[in-house]
Amino acid sequence: MSTTRVVVILLFCAAMIAASFGIGLWSKKKATTAQAYFGGTAMFGPLAVGLSSMAGVASAFALVGVPGLIYATGNAMTFWMLGSSAFAASYIILGKKMRAMAEVADISSLGDVCDVRFNKNRLIKALMSIIITLGCVGYLAAQISAGTALISNLINIPPIVAGLIIFGLLTAYTALSGEVGGLLSQAFQGAIMVIAGVVLIIAFFAVTGGFGNVLNAVGAASSVVGANGVEKQLGPDFLNAWGTQPGGISLTWMLIPLLGCVGQPQVLTRMYAVKNPLDLPKTGLVSGITHAIVSFLCVAMGYGALYLVATGNIDPLANSDDAIYAFVNHCGLWAQLLAYAAILAAALSSASMFLTSSSTLLSKDLPSALGIKIDPSKQIHVSRVFMIVLGIVSIVVSVFSSELVGLLGTFGWGTLVSGTFPVFIVGLLWDRCNSAGVIAGLAYAVVFNILPLVTGFAYPSALPGYFITCAIAVALTVVVSLVTPKQKLNAASKAVLDL
Amino acid sequence: MNIQTKKTPIFVLIALLWIVCIVLGTIGHYVIGLVLCVPLIGLHLILGFAKKGVVSKKVLIYPLAIWAVLYAVAFILCGYYADAFAGVMPSFTVFGLHPSFAPVIFIYWIGGLLTIALGYYLLRDEWLSQKDWDEFCQEAKKIKEGK
Repeated sequence: MSTTRVVVILLFCAAMIAASFGIGLWSKKKATTAQAYFGGTAMFGPLAVGLSSMAGVASAFALVGVPGLIYATGNAMTFWMLGSSAFAASYIILGKKMRAMAEVADISSLGDVCDVRFNKNRLIKALMSIIITLGCVGYLAAQISAGTALISNLINIPPIVAGLIIFGLLTAYTALSGEVGGLLSQAFQGAIMVIAGVVLIIAFFAVTGGFGNVLNAVGAASSVVGANGVEKQLGPDFLNAWGTQPGGISLTWMLIPLLGCVGQPQVLTRMYAVKNPLDLPKTGLVSGITHAIVSFLCVAMGYGALYLVATGNIDPLANSDDAIYAFVNHCGLWAQLLAYAAILAAALSSASMFLTSSSTLLSKDLPSALGIKIDPSKQIHVSRVFMIVLGIVSIVVSVFSSELVGLLGTFGWGTLVSGTFPVFIVGLLWDRCNSAGVIAGLAYAVVFNILPLVTGFAYPSALPGYFITCAIAVALTVVVSLVTPKQKLNAASKAVLDL
Repeated sequence: MNIQTKKTPIFVLIALLWIVCIVLGTIGHYVIGLVLCVPLIGLHLILGFAKKGVVSKKVLIYPLAIWAVLYAVAFILCGYYADAFAGVMPSFTVFGLHPSFAPVIFIYWIGGLLTIALGYYLLRDEWLSQKDWDEFCQEAKKIKEGK
């Protein structure tokens, strides 16, 4: 890439980071209470909540990994990407109950909701915090790793320098303004992603001439060998509904993102950030439509790269994760500019989201579950320090330990579903759900999320392990709740569950 | 429809459907598994739409029944056309898309998403009205003061 292009792209990215930093600093004055700092509780309208939820869900993995997977294995991944637009369904299922919790108690974290529903059961809170922290830290490390690689590939600077500049600034403004700054800067970053999405989708149609040309090019060639010696297998089945993956993968990649959208912390916590729950249907439209644009962008980039390879415009990719870069590099400067900004925006928004979530869990919910009391007047200060330490450690680990990032990266969407469904979905929708059931479901989820990494355990199935873990965790929660004595609901929980 | 007393059977069914889906996915019957995901997701939506244990008939018809039919049809068409054109170029396309993939875009994604999101917005009072929320806030205030 020419020096001028690199400079223009870097300036654009720097302006975006500076604007995010400015929004974070401005938001500091609003983050005066624990509810505001940790949860942004009952503070925002549908546009801010909708855009920030979308930006939190559409991570750097979506913009880089999804086109890469579509390029590598065809359409199975589209089920995941398109299904995760299910914000309206998520709000229908749990929106009013999560928001109602903030009326019956002082709610600033998921742990607070857990306390109200399960009478401050410390074991439930600890198990839930462990699982969600694993998922959040994994996501955080992956975002930092992706954002750092993006910039250090553009200019020849050590990744640690790029990481400390970009994510150091992010850590600083997030620590200062908490969830308030996090949410507003995510909304801004979400808007960047949507603008980039619209333009790049138009570029896809302009370059390829539409889906029919892609199907004809990909279906007609059984394989392509480039001048770089890389071979790409194609063929008529490549762009059918399942792609080259077994059909069970499509089943998993439809159900887990769609139903699992309601189990993501970036969606759950935003439900009580909304000022008026009557705005949630509008929020569902905002987040659903904006996520649909970003989702379609990801699909179009995968299709675009396939078309360019199948028609011989570019060599087959040695690394499928380069699919989006290959397509925008073919389009020219403006496409590169928007794509790099969108990827960086996705990394920043998800990173700030998971930074606040994991530091709240580690500095507030987990200590309280372990019986460690922190003076409420010092809680914000403690969490601020904790967030800075966690941010710096995450940057260093992400840059210097690719093995650990890979390991943490396995704790993703499915891990979070297995940790939140027993507590929030079963717990807030079913009055018969009791502590014993939730403990059984969560304990299973903790063990079977960690066991595969420690022992190499695998279920006797071609399905991804997280799908099976989620299913069994939910089933255990239901069965154990039924065979153990019914618990009387406290007045707050009863009012919320009846709403 | 009053589901207040039916929540336990609904959750037993949800647990069963999760397990059946992983069994079907494991033994290769993924299209049936996909179709069974429709009641699995739909039961969550019914529970979420319920107000004081009651789901309005309007909501059950639109958006829920329409959404369920769209999803089931989309998955069946995906399976049918993927098998019909296995290993060969399809004899027709839908706006340029493979006939097994077009249902994913037009029915599962656009149709399903719009049905749920618009239905939720249009029938939002059936989910939570201002009156319901005001009454709840009064009750919540008493609960908080009671503490």
